[in-house]
Amino acid sequence: MQPVCRRDLTVAAEHFIICEEMARHLLTDFELMILLATLRAGDEAYGVQIAREIERTSGRRVLLGAAYAALDRLERNELVTSTLGSPSPERGGRAKRFFRVTPRGLRAVKETRQALVALWQDLPQLKEKRA
Amino acid sequence: MTTQPPRLALALLKRFVPGEEPLAGDLAEEFAAGRSRAWFWRQVLAAIAVHAFTRQGDERPLPRHVNLTASPLPDVGGLGLVALVGLMTVVMPQAWWLVLAAAVLGAVLGVVLIAINRARLG
Repeated sequence: MQPVCRRDLTVAAEHFIICEEMARHLLTDFELMILLATLRAGDEAYGVQIAREIERTSGRRVLLGAAYAALDRLERNELVTSTLGSPSPERGGRAKRFFRVTPRGLRAVKETRQALVALWQDLPQLKEKRA
Repeated sequence: MTTQPPRLALALLKRFVPGEEPLAGDLAEEFAAGRSRAWFWRQVLAAIAVHAFTRQGDERPLPRHVNLTASPLPDVGGLGLVALVGLMTVVMPQAWWLVLAAAVLGAVLGVVLIAINRARLG
């Protein structure tokens, strides 16, 4: 089988590892939305803000628990980082967790976009009719 | 109207979702901003369900032993339960009606709660 990666690899195992790494960079639709909403929210992005941003732009109802599960997964994959803020009374003395997209996360967003655009192209069913 | 979020929901969240503090804070913030108790409970139960069905990487949960009969010996809880069932059948078989009634009432209550929740959601 011909390697699908562009890099010239002589060792099959190394080829497999790099392809695996590339595959991991393609995000699910929810992960993509989370990362884009985090980018839109800026440096002060936290759970509620990210969920509201997704609801506002896509109309999709977001469960905060699902958003946090996705953010935890993204953090484990080093696509976002998080820091804890200061506790506040309106939150019952609990701290906010602020999220920030890493350069690797940004790259994953771009790669996913490229893959989606490539899939989108040349589909007659999706071509808009011009009046 | 109280601005305190449901304490039982928060306790369940703390028990079943590790590192829940930021999530609990977000829920409390939304509740203070006018979200309903039903919304709060829905979010908490969903968070618990999501956590339960999401594998944390390669981390596997430690097996938990539940001793339903409070037996002091490990792995013999099932035998204790069988002994209790046998004893109840021999000494007071009419107590089974109570068990049956409790099961039926539980099922009826579940159906009623589902119907109420559906009617509320429209």
